Amino acid sequence: MKNISLGQFYPGSSIIHRLDPRMKLILALVYIVCSFLARNVISFGVLLLSSFVLIILSNIPMSLILRSVRPILFILAFTVIINIFWTSGETLLFEWKFIHIYLEGVMNAVFMVVRIFVLIVGTSLLLTYTTTPIALTDAIEQLFAPLKKIKVPVHEFAMMMTIALRFIPTLIDETDKIMSAQKARGADFTNGSLVKRAKALIPILIPLFVSAFRRADELATAMECRCYHGGEGRTRMNILHYSVKDFIWLFLVVAFAAGLVVINNIGIGYTM
Amino acid sequence: MDNNYFIKTESLCASYKEDDGRSVEVLKNINIGIKKGEYVAVLGHNGSGKSTFAKLLNMILTPDSGRIFIDGTDITREDMTEKEIYDIRRKIGMVFQNPDNQLVATIVEEDVAFGPENLGIPSDEIRRRVDEALATVGMTEYAGHEPHRLSGGQKQRVAIAGIIAMMPECMVFDESTAMLDPVGRKEVMDTIDMLNRERGITVINITHHMNEAVRADRVIVLNDGKVYMDGTPEEIFNEPYKLELAGLEVPQCTALIQELRRKGVALDGECTTPEKCAALLIKALGGRNNG
Amino acid sequence: MAEIKLENISYVYSEGTPFEISALEDINLTIKSGIVMGIIGHTGSGKSTLVQMLNGLVKPASGRVLLDGKDIWENPKEIGKVRFKVGLVMQYPEYQLFEETVRADIAFGPKNMGLDDEEIEERVLEAADFVGLERDFLEKSPFDLSGGQKRRVAIAGIIAMRPEVLVLDEPAAGLDPSGRETIMRSIMNYKKRTGATIVIVSHSMEDMAKYCDELAVLSDGKLLMTGDKKDVFKRSDELVSVGLDIPQITTMMKLLADGGVNVNTAVYTVDDALAEIYKLL
Repeated sequence: MKNISLGQFYPGSSIIHRLDPRMKLILALVYIVCSFLARNVISFGVLLLSSFVLIILSNIPMSLILRSVRPILFILAFTVIINIFWTSGETLLFEWKFIHIYLEGVMNAVFMVVRIFVLIVGTSLLLTYTTTPIALTDAIEQLFAPLKKIKVPVHEFAMMMTIALRFIPTLIDETDKIMSAQKARGADFTNGSLVKRAKALIPILIPLFVSAFRRADELATAMECRCYHGGEGRTRMNILHYSVKDFIWLFLVVAFAAGLVVINNIGIGYTM
Repeated sequence: MDNNYFIKTESLCASYKEDDGRSVEVLKNINIGIKKGEYVAVLGHNGSGKSTFAKLLNMILTPDSGRIFIDGTDITREDMTEKEIYDIRRKIGMVFQNPDNQLVATIVEEDVAFGPENLGIPSDEIRRRVDEALATVGMTEYAGHEPHRLSGGQKQRVAIAGIIAMMPECMVFDESTAMLDPVGRKEVMDTIDMLNRERGITVINITHHMNEAVRADRVIVLNDGKVYMDGTPEEIFNEPYKLELAGLEVPQCTALIQELRRKGVALDGECTTPEKCAALLIKALGGRNNG
Repeated sequence: MAEIKLENISYVYSEGTPFEISALEDINLTIKSGIVMGIIGHTGSGKSTLVQMLNGLVKPASGRVLLDGKDIWENPKEIGKVRFKVGLVMQYPEYQLFEETVRADIAFGPKNMGLDDEEIEERVLEAADFVGLERDFLEKSPFDLSGGQKRRVAIAGIIAMRPEVLVLDEPAAGLDPSGRETIMRSIMNYKKRTGATIVIVSHSMEDMAKYCDELAVLSDGKLLMTGDKKDVFKRSDELVSVGLDIPQITTMMKLLADGGVNVNTAVYTVDDALAEIYKLL
């Protein structure tokens, strides 16, 4: 379990890896908006193409990306079914008893699949695959720093995220150890009814909570000993700096969004 | 008050509250003076009050009565400002037992930077200190690693680097080797020795490992909340029965020499390490063979 | 009375399995009935993996684990029964306590064995006796106890299953000398009264020298040597060369020998060393 990788970070030094994490956060937001801007065949086509361009630029193997799509296959399938069977339109393609499938439904299904695919690929490529969790946390803290003025606890939130990231592997390790220890006392986690299995978790959860609280307590003391007193007066070793290429990317992605809006107005084929 | 002492306690008493509200006295009238640059081992069985003592020194806990002077400042004053408290915590760095529960960040160098960042030190200065601290503990090549992938000894060295980066004058190790294997223990002990001998940092090592106490200049044994013994390792280990009463034991070699002495074999000199014992025995046996 | 025999055990490191699982290579080891076997090895040598194979928590990739001549994996569904016969106390076992009272926590194992209440109660009391926990502790919450007491409760939880083989991974880690002594005495007490086979993993060579009959030394997943502790400590140079400690007294006797004093260096307790030195005086 030592090799658990959090946030799916894939080490590399591609153009996307080297972008300022704050900019990646902004770009991801704009890209999400883009995926909702697309309306017709061409704009969806361009959108899909753009996500492949991102994949190539990021140097991340296609297999890895497909793996990240796998957990949402069910959602995709569900979306397809809903759209195909429940959209009514003008061009009837297929009819059998109470089932009517319209061209519009099929198109909607395809569009939705592309949209979800682009959403996943865009955010995971721009954020989780190419940015370390800590850089992401830093980005959130520094990007949203102005919100501190309206009493949003930005620093505290970022600190919590950092600590969570730091301790998740430790707690996963610990869960394994406790499970083995209880198994050695004859606990059975795999057989029996659902209620029985849920009850079997108690001997894991209680020690895990006790340990988590103890760790939290010790960590708090250690942090106090290291003069931690919240975000006030705190400096950072690594200060993020935007470079020219960050702004070039911002320009390109915003232009892309604008382009999508223009393409939407070209009346070819079905429009969503 | 003697100004030569870096740490001085006067009639220090402390207690903690049990869950049922009962108050348990853990330190009773402690008077200790520790000089700048000294290397002190604090021994005691579990519950002897040694951890409480450590946490009083940097104001994580507050005493019931008595006074503590750090570098001439009375830290038990009512009017200690926040700035003064942080200054005390910077001066007296603390490394704890469980290496997992004191590392905050997900990257080694980020963790080392945590302390200096809290102190509000400029970025480039933090960078310089972090690099230097990692070099001091020999962890430079792990700067970009994730702490949970390191061994116990390496984690503790990162924790030590995190304190060094705050430029402390004194470091307190609260059973910092208790959870480590022999390799990790050696790594950490060698680091502690080096900090004291080469950097002149005052070291207080709280432990129940006799082999670690031997490395110090001075050993203080706490028992039942009181200073039970205070002297050089040699002096302390000379009284194995007294140590046993305090729930402690002497190292094997020391026990051997003392047993021989009790049987009337003349063995003069230190017997705290295998090397010293062997030297004593060779001298004694050699003498006999010649005579 | 139970004997464990490991035959050509191998284990390949595989990602995503619990713990730091280290590889093991072709291990052949017999743990004779009724002895105290010590397993030595530095972190990552594979000793934790090996220990978890003894009660079937980890399944060997190849090779057989024989408990009284019977392959424990013959019927994988019955592996639970093996865990009652071979009790494993993991490292820092106090972190597995979860019940409201010490009594209930010690009873967890026996309950899983499907014993009746009367039998469970008897075993709880017996186990508490073995580890020296007084009766009034039984109603306390395990979370209110000191570290050393918690450790004893956790060990009692395994002893209550009356295992024929009691395996302990670093039973005394992190305890002070008197706490260590209490734990080791409890274990020896259990062995003496029940004749159980004991397997101890420890970094403390002094403890190993004091309590074990035989030792097995692991290094990088291989069995470096095994046999009577005398024979193992005789090869202390090899132990040192693979990064292991030897008892402090053995180090000193070797220094004496190096210094030209004619002594037996296969000595690992203070009493034996004294006897050696008296011979010379």
